[in-house]
Amino acid sequence: MKLNTMAAVMSFVSRIEDASATFYEKCAVQYPDMKDTFLSWSKENRKFEKNVKRTYFGVITDTLESNYAFEGLDTDDYAFETDVPEDAPKTGKRAHEIEEKIKAFYLKAAELSEGLMADIPRLFKKIAKKREERRLPA
Amino acid sequence: MAVKRLQNYINGEWVDSTTQEFVEIKNPARGEVLSECPMSTKAELDSAIQAAQDAYPDWRNTPAVARARYLHRLIEVMEENFNELSIVQTREHGKTIDESRGETRRGIEMVEVASGIPTTMQGFNLEDIAHGIDEYAIYQPLGVFSCIAPFNFPFMVPLWFLPFAIACGDTFVVKPSPRTPMSQTKLFEMLDDTGLPPGVVNMVHGGAEIANGFMEHPDMKGVTFVGSTPVARHIYQKCGETGKRVIAQAGAKNFIVIMPDAEIDKAMVSLVSSFFGNAGQRCLAGANLLVVGDDKTYRNVVDKFRNAAAAITVGDGLDESVQMGPVQNAESKQRILKMMEKGIAEGAKLTLDGRNLKLVGDLPGDCFLNPSVFENVTPEMSLAQDEIFGPVASVLRAGDLDEAIDIVHSVPFGNSAAIFTNNGKWARQFQHDVIAGNVGINVGIVAPMAFFPFGGMKDSFFGILHGQGQDVVRFFTECKVVITRWF
Repeated sequence: MKLNTMAAVMSFVSRIEDASATFYEKCAVQYPDMKDTFLSWSKENRKFEKNVKRTYFGVITDTLESNYAFEGLDTDDYAFETDVPEDAPKTGKRAHEIEEKIKAFYLKAAELSEGLMADIPRLFKKIAKKREERRLPA
Repeated sequence: MAVKRLQNYINGEWVDSTTQEFVEIKNPARGEVLSECPMSTKAELDSAIQAAQDAYPDWRNTPAVARARYLHRLIEVMEENFNELSIVQTREHGKTIDESRGETRRGIEMVEVASGIPTTMQGFNLEDIAHGIDEYAIYQPLGVFSCIAPFNFPFMVPLWFLPFAIACGDTFVVKPSPRTPMSQTKLFEMLDDTGLPPGVVNMVHGGAEIANGFMEHPDMKGVTFVGSTPVARHIYQKCGETGKRVIAQAGAKNFIVIMPDAEIDKAMVSLVSSFFGNAGQRCLAGANLLVVGDDKTYRNVVDKFRNAAAAITVGDGLDESVQMGPVQNAESKQRILKMMEKGIAEGAKLTLDGRNLKLVGDLPGDCFLNPSVFENVTPEMSLAQDEIFGPVASVLRAGDLDEAIDIVHSVPFGNSAAIFTNNGKWARQFQHDVIAGNVGINVGIVAPMAFFPFGGMKDSFFGILHGQGQDVVRFFTECKVVITRWF
């Protein structure tokens, strides 16, 4: 599905952050030794969503032009699996895939909306950077 | 299920109108009836003004900081209901949900700025105007004020006035647009939640009879209005006769001038948003795209603009994939179609025909138009001169900036004008010379923030002080000068 308005982008942010948070909550149950890491990521993802929404609702008057800005943003490009695999290496790989997809989405959305409003692309880039810093324990 | 009949809000109570005349409020995207709006009676208006008049003495004596605290509470309630408020606007008006959220945010910003009244209402003084004598100016409220609201920003526009008026110590009566009265009704539910004393704010639904009642009532100190130029002119004249203050913000035909050096790719989103946002139903909407330069520049600008306009998705504003909603009602669509036909008859070339509907979803077409672009428009044509208030762009040409400014001045309106250029000299000349109340430089929608006045010149504004900012604080107050000497 094409994301061509700010409202659609916001709804997609909610979906991916919720889906990825839920994935990490399941991981925490399946891998108790890494519970703290997974739960902290889950918590952080939900915080990302809240921050994005807060920013959006705070600067929505600045985002009106962006209603026409999101050309080339498609949910199909950022789809990911959320089933927790049976073994740890595959789970790690899946987590990595999820993070990469979400990061790519934020960077593209930031690029498309840059110049129209400052706060939202800045936050998108910040979230992408925070995801970059995530490392699964060995 | 029975359709809800809207009530008036008078003296702190929700009351049914005794009228037998009601107007159906329809969702323009889907045609469903949302509510019925009463065409209230003169007696109901009189009781609202009486309530406001009765509330005035105590309210005026309430300290400014205490008055501001009611506004702080209102901001809290509005934030809590942000999304619900926005959905109501989309359903009754048709605009997209992003546009409604933008309108809600703008409305809240008005209340935020108005709540600074302990600062903005301050007077000034000078010691020793003569030996041992001091002089100071104080600003005092006047009494009851009113707002006649438009359909295009049904939630936000009354907030250009109401929070400032009550912050100043005045009391207020709103007549929402009978085409889009629901979001204003929602606002009054929130005002009720703030615990404001009865009579400080009142709302009476209705039409011309209520509006004329504002202008005629002896206790009404001033009228604020946003709408068409003929009505604004009528209000200005009538208020002049009855000795009332007036802010009447009127129609528009806004130019966007594209200079040859404009960053056209970066500007395109801004241009498309200006012309087609809110389905062109903004008094700050771009209407005339005036391209300065040779044939190559012209073709480059217009082809990109037309392609971007053609790509806009049109449908129900609650669908997040939709970038432009319907016009507000079927009569608006018919009026716009007639103006387009007139433009064709005058010789303009319709290069993007929005009459060919392409909608997202299965929707009745009664209120929908896709974006239209006319080329070969010349300054004397009705397409260049008359306010269309719909998703229709007229493209004109000029040889240089001087000619462009002359063309901008050929229309009777002066609401906003914008220039897109990288040349500071051109930008400065435009800002200096153009007769328009709101001027944009590389900005497509020149919407002043709440802490600046909302400008307007020529046939776009009738009055002296404008809505918003310090202007509106002056409008709602009277200056009293005091000279003191102590023996």
